[in-house]
Amino acid sequence: MAVATRGTSSNYLQRAPSPSGLADVINVILDKGLVVDAYVRVSVIGIEVITIDARIVIASVDTYLRFAEAVNRLDLTQTETAGLAELRDGGSSEKTKGVLEGVKDKMTPGDGDKESKKERSRK
Amino acid sequence: MSIAADAEPITKGGIYVYAVVRNDGAKLPRVEGIGGSRVDLVPCGDLAALVTRLPERGWKVKRRDLERHLGVLESAFADGTILPCPFGTVVESVDDLEDALLAGRRSELLDGLKRLDGRVQMNVKALYDEDRLLRAIVASDREIASLRERTRGTGADGYYDRVRLGELIAARVEARREDDGRRLESALARAAIDVVAEPAGGELAFSGSFLVARSSLEEFDAALEDVAAAEQPLLRFEAIGPLPPTSFTASYAGM
Repeated sequence: MAVATRGTSSNYLQRAPSPSGLADVINVILDKGLVVDAYVRVSVIGIEVITIDARIVIASVDTYLRFAEAVNRLDLTQTETAGLAELRDGGSSEKTKGVLEGVKDKMTPGDGDKESKKERSRK
Repeated sequence: MSIAADAEPITKGGIYVYAVVRNDGAKLPRVEGIGGSRVDLVPCGDLAALVTRLPERGWKVKRRDLERHLGVLESAFADGTILPCPFGTVVESVDDLEDALLAGRRSELLDGLKRLDGRVQMNVKALYDEDRLLRAIVASDREIASLRERTRGTGADGYYDRVRLGELIAARVEARREDDGRRLESALARAAIDVVAEPAGGELAFSGSFLVARSSLEEFDAALEDVAAAEQPLLRFEAIGPLPPTSFTASYAGM
């Protein structure tokens, strides 16, 4: 379709013409669009997708402890002027990766789907 | 999220509906449909629906079908304006499809098509660099900074302090997310016709869909570039599109 001249992707802005990961595909097509009246719609039980309501912040002690652990591991001697690559390579920062991700996981109930796990680890 | 890929098929026959289009000789999508089946056009006056006739033995939903559904939408969208249906829209018969949609809601559908003509959807996500976010929060809050000092290296003794510390940080992260999300949304909305923000959580500062005139995609892209450049390195952005306007169809087709 090539409508717009797209700039090249940088490390702070990635562009894609189409969703690639399953989560992005779901985000585009699930529960979005023209809704056909319920009285003629056949319910498709096979589509058992548990959508995550990300607004629900699980205020659990477990979450708090993870945050605490993450900041305790932060090396504050690394200043904001340090280069991004330097921060990424730092051993301490490596350990703290994934706390926000961890919180998100907590909000994903009943993730029993092997395929979606595979999808995530592929990233 | 989980998909029960091995669930028993429950649809016996029926018609899977991808989207409503104008019946103006539009080409059929050249991609395979749900279950690898053919995509057909069901015409009804000046409207038509893109469908797949599901087998009588039943349709078993596969993950691959999510991509096929999107593939049909994208292929049809490349040929003209469409009103996409959500994934998994199945009606019993062609009669139902006409009564409940093509004929029954003809005027609002035509209106929706007209309102979405020449418009595309851009999905944008802004994601935090976690270390930078936490560093900024520690640096900006004395209570957090001192609790952090106190709890570093403490074992079971510091349990309640650590809970308190985490609680404070979680609250700061949420407040920050709300501020950042609102700012990013309004900055990008200026280059768009409409916006639908999604709930953000985890590493997301913002997630939303923007309705953009095809003719001003470059302006939107430039605005995105500006915002992303200004917000880095705390945030990095992901933009997907131009997509069919799935997030805007329900409201633009009079619902």
